[in-house]
Amino acid sequence: MRRASDEQKQELPPSSSQQRYESHPPGDRPDQEPQRSHHSYTDQGGEESEDYESEEQLQQRILTAALKFVPAHGWTADAIAEGAKSLGLSVAAAGMFHTDGSELILHFVSQCNSELSNLLEQQQKLVQLGQAEKKKTDQFLRDAVEARLRMLIPYIEKWPQAVSILLLPHNIPASLNLLTSMVDDMWHYAGDQSTDINWYTRRAVLAGIYNTTELVMMQDSSSDFEETWHFLENRIADAMTMGHTAKQVQSTGEALVQGLMGAAVTVKNLAGLNQRR
Amino acid sequence: SVYHVFESVAKKYDIMNDSMSLGIHRLWKDTLLHQMNPYPGTQLLDVAGGTETNAGDIAFRFINYIRSQWDHQIRQKLKSHQNLSWQEISKSYQQEENELPGGSQVVVCDINKEMLKIGKQKAQHLGYSEGLSWVVGNAEELPFIDNKFDVYTIAFGIRNVTHIDQALQEAYRVLKPGGRFLCLEFSQVNNPLISRLYDLYSFQVIPVLGEIIAGDWKSYQYLVESIRCFPAQEEFKAMIEDTGFLKVEYQNLTSGIVAIHSGFKL
Repeated sequence: MRRASDEQKQELPPSSSQQRYESHPPGDRPDQEPQRSHHSYTDQGGEESEDYESEEQLQQRILTAALKFVPAHGWTADAIAEGAKSLGLSVAAAGMFHTDGSELILHFVSQCNSELSNLLEQQQKLVQLGQAEKKKTDQFLRDAVEARLRMLIPYIEKWPQAVSILLLPHNIPASLNLLTSMVDDMWHYAGDQSTDINWYTRRAVLAGIYNTTELVMMQDSSSDFEETWHFLENRIADAMTMGHTAKQVQSTGEALVQGLMGAAVTVKNLAGLNQRR
Repeated sequence: SVYHVFESVAKKYDIMNDSMSLGIHRLWKDTLLHQMNPYPGTQLLDVAGGTETNAGDIAFRFINYIRSQWDHQIRQKLKSHQNLSWQEISKSYQQEENELPGGSQVVVCDINKEMLKIGKQKAQHLGYSEGLSWVVGNAEELPFIDNKFDVYTIAFGIRNVTHIDQALQEAYRVLKPGGRFLCLEFSQVNNPLISRLYDLYSFQVIPVLGEIIAGDWKSYQYLVESIRCFPAQEEFKAMIEDTGFLKVEYQNLTSGIVAIHSGFKL
């Protein structure tokens, strides 16, 4: 395994065992090839040093690097191959991942959720230090959902494709999990004190708001997605008034499934869109 | 000429391969390529099966795959109304002339010079020339520098290697970091019913067919016996891991009659 810090190619003089015969065109002789020295820790009885990188960490790095190539290549094995190449690895490393791009998309969603958590954490600290006002629930949720959705903007053209992949049966457990933890996170930081809405309802309501706003965003061609934020504002307002009158949901499953099925139908229609104009 | 000899021998072996595996060996090789899913620009080393008819099977499929991927990519871009740059357009005309898409290349390496000669002629006959080279070499001591290839394949060849661990080490050495090892080989059948039929078939039927069709009982008996000696899926997986490969997995095909083992140099 490579050291995480070992990014440079090191030139080593070829040893005698490396003067190999090759039937390649001139200009490609062995002594002209730069020698890369990649320490393989697996050869040393599994010894680990401080910057030992696990298989999983390397996979994460490749997926992160692949994101740059998504606008051009979509959420595909091609983007992952380009990502690996950009890290100095063989394009064959993309073979570690499924060809439908699932892992790349899930990685992205997970990254965005972490980014959101950090953002909300920082904001909370400011409030605790008295440097900012605590927002009311509706404003808080509006800002949180908007911040999270804005992360999609660089990838918005290919996002319908991603959503349709996330809705495939084998991906639903993972994508649902990411959705619910994101929603729970938002409610946690919202610090809502009201007791007349139970936990499942909160989840369902916010997940529904998030999903529908996301769908609107994918079809929104207004400047800076004004229409989307306007739509979001209305949905939140509805939810605030709904709280006291609606029948409470008893499980996450019910409402989320309804929300997802609606989303699935819309996304099928959207996935054909290549341009927003 | 050598090619005429090849043609008559090849026909016999082709029929033999087809009858033995009921033509399924073609599907197995197709599956190998599908798993490989090579990206344009891939440098492939195919350490060959070593028989006259197998020459180039993997290499030709690789070339076909890369070409069709490239066509698909170009078509996708046109469909989504993206403007191809002049560079890309001229590249797509160029690639027919002097290289494979993305600079992909395949090297076929085998210890048998005659097999390589036949392979070269077969390639010319079928219209494969760019990005393809034929090198004499021993799987246990490859004539290539370190960190050279993106993918290393060995299809129905590793069970004939005397020191399998050496061949695996050489595979590791010549692969680039991130590179992939792929092995297609006969393995142990996991289904008892199929196993019984397979036993009967391999020990009773195959050598007889070998004699009748190819006039060659001994080779086919050797073949059957060498299959039995080769380590089973899990054991072979462990050998690959011991060499240093990571994310080692295998996929059984046709109830385990063959398996594809895969590992990465990370």
